[in-house]
Amino acid sequence: MNVLSFINDKRVRDWFYQIALIVLLVGLTVFFVRNASENMVKAGIASGFDFLWRTSGIEVPFVLTGYTQSDDIFALFWVGVANTMLVTVIAIALATLLGFAIGIARLSSHWLLSTIAGAYIEFVRNIPLLFFVLFWYFGVIAALPQPRQSISLFGVAFLNNRGITIPLPDAPGNFRWAALVILVSWVGYWLASAWARKRKERTGQDAPLLAIGLGLIVVVPALAIAWASLATRWDIPVLRGFNYRGGFVVIPEFVALLAALVTYTAGFIAEIVRGGIESVAKGQSEAASALGLRPGRILSLVVIPQALRVMTPPLTNQYLNVLKNSSFGAAIAYPDVVSLFMGSALNNTGQAIEIIAMTLAVYLVIGLAVSALMNWYNARIALVTR
Amino acid sequence: MTIRILGAAVLLAAGASVAQAQQLAPSPTLDAVKARGNLECGVHLGLPGFSFANDKGEWSGLDVDYCKALAAAVFGDANKVKYTPTSVQQRWPILQSGQVDVLSRNSTITFSRNATLGLNFQGINFYEGQTFIVRKSAGVKDAAGLDGASVCVAAGSTEEKNAADWFRERNLKTTITNFQKNDDAIAAYDAGRCDAYTAGVGALAGQRAKLKNPDEHVILTQPISNDPQGPVTRWGDERWQLIVRWVLNGTIAAEMLGVTSKNVDEMKANSKNTEVRRLLGAEGGFGAMMGLSNDWMYNAIKQVGNYGESYERTVGMGSPLKLERGQNQLWTKGGLLFTPPFQ
Repeated sequence: MNVLSFINDKRVRDWFYQIALIVLLVGLTVFFVRNASENMVKAGIASGFDFLWRTSGIEVPFVLTGYTQSDDIFALFWVGVANTMLVTVIAIALATLLGFAIGIARLSSHWLLSTIAGAYIEFVRNIPLLFFVLFWYFGVIAALPQPRQSISLFGVAFLNNRGITIPLPDAPGNFRWAALVILVSWVGYWLASAWARKRKERTGQDAPLLAIGLGLIVVVPALAIAWASLATRWDIPVLRGFNYRGGFVVIPEFVALLAALVTYTAGFIAEIVRGGIESVAKGQSEAASALGLRPGRILSLVVIPQALRVMTPPLTNQYLNVLKNSSFGAAIAYPDVVSLFMGSALNNTGQAIEIIAMTLAVYLVIGLAVSALMNWYNARIALVTR
Repeated sequence: MTIRILGAAVLLAAGASVAQAQQLAPSPTLDAVKARGNLECGVHLGLPGFSFANDKGEWSGLDVDYCKALAAAVFGDANKVKYTPTSVQQRWPILQSGQVDVLSRNSTITFSRNATLGLNFQGINFYEGQTFIVRKSAGVKDAAGLDGASVCVAAGSTEEKNAADWFRERNLKTTITNFQKNDDAIAAYDAGRCDAYTAGVGALAGQRAKLKNPDEHVILTQPISNDPQGPVTRWGDERWQLIVRWVLNGTIAAEMLGVTSKNVDEMKANSKNTEVRRLLGAEGGFGAMMGLSNDWMYNAIKQVGNYGESYERTVGMGSPLKLERGQNQLWTKGGLLFTPPFQ
């Protein structure tokens, strides 16, 4: 093997380009980081991540992590990350449900239903998200009554323009047991359905899966929660002075941001659902119909499973958009990672480069996790040709 | 021949060293400002009384007046300023990165900003105390009466931390909601989201006008903090810092010495007071020591006025804000304002 054939070898050249690109990228990164840090030293700006261990001193109205204002800035960072993830996960779930409902309504043969769904989709697609956020916040939530005129929900929860104050258990121990029971019963259902599927393949007999599912998924958890609720002492909110004291407050910023993300994203998901369903060849549902299946069964057994394959990649995009759009919460003081870390912490410490890099990393990591999950799902439902 | 050459060389060397002695320390910022032909001044997005642009885009206010005085000192023309409105979030990076030459924007001087952000604070043009605006109907007399209230505030401001600390130290339970901009925070307060909004007393006086019914609200008189504010520069370039500091000192000194925009010509021509004469460039050559013309403060006072004139016009009794001089009065009249001598 002489030198010339070595150079002309495609594999060798491919490797060469790959390595050259990596060296170039690493070199550029090193250059920019060094340049920035040298300039910061020259300008007298402190750099590095030591600021993370300073006391934050910032009060956050919506905390899931047990943070208090005497904790350090790193703890504040996690409060922001948790709040971003909370609103993202719930918004994705609700937007998917609403989006499917609207998408299927759009295809309905019922004229009014289909027209309303179509109008909704057109409306959503032509209005900026910021409008939704401000509409829900200032238009809907701010129109709720002042604390003294709160709407009482069974005398234990109170709705006003400061949010929904709900009772909080004094000791969460019983709820941990209830959660364990729920988990066990769900795993039980999963095992039962796997066994039922195998049995059907073997014998062709249907198992009473509906009854088992009802029991394990609904009744057992409901009983567990009811038991935990009755066995726990509750911290019930009472009106004192300006507002209700005690309990847990679901802040209006969370509700407004969630509502905006769900109503906005559902419009796009509806279009993906419509496109996915329309991409399934008409012959499929005709064939199913010829076998005597009813329209509902055709949709759930024949059309949607095939449509899901088309829908998954664009759905992934929408889910990533929800994650990114959750940063719009900063416009209405929802304490997400952008608002708390890139807003309050950055202003207090002035460590712009470090804080922006960490915030970018948060979105990158969560985003890649969402993509990975969706890619795994996509591979699982992909058409397996035998 | 040799002697003459030697003599010439000696003379040349002497001349060169004299020239060297007259050369000022380099000031990249001043050179850049002069080459550009205008001053770049970072100001507040819009705070009536401090920095506010009218519908013709003309800026006015106490902080804006400082920019004008500085431009008048450098160029002899108070209008050679380009204003860059900055939010709470942008203000430091905009100054650090050199987009503005000086920041004059209602920002509190704090230790950690001074120590870690590469910033220098060049004196105080406004002593401010943080307080709260509440609805009259709430019947609150002082900040302690806000127990249980929810408070709107601009995120990352000194007010955010001050308020959290103040309530925690007194074991009072408040909820603090942090908005990205002052305007968003006060809009949420106005919409009923919060029981109170907190900011400096000067800012509150200006922002009160933005509320739907200003008369239904009251500003609590007792402040919970002391927030001195003044022009800010980057680290390095000591000569530019000197100019920024002494233009501010000059406007305060002018008030102490009784020099106003009305009598400045007469004072320059006839005053026997040597400090007045040095301030206005009639003697001493003080401007040239910093690389400016000697009538630097004459121009600033003639075109913008002394500190007291500026205060009355922008935030004082001659303005809609109607703030008392209070701490911002000269020390000789019971306030805190003071300037080292022009000597």
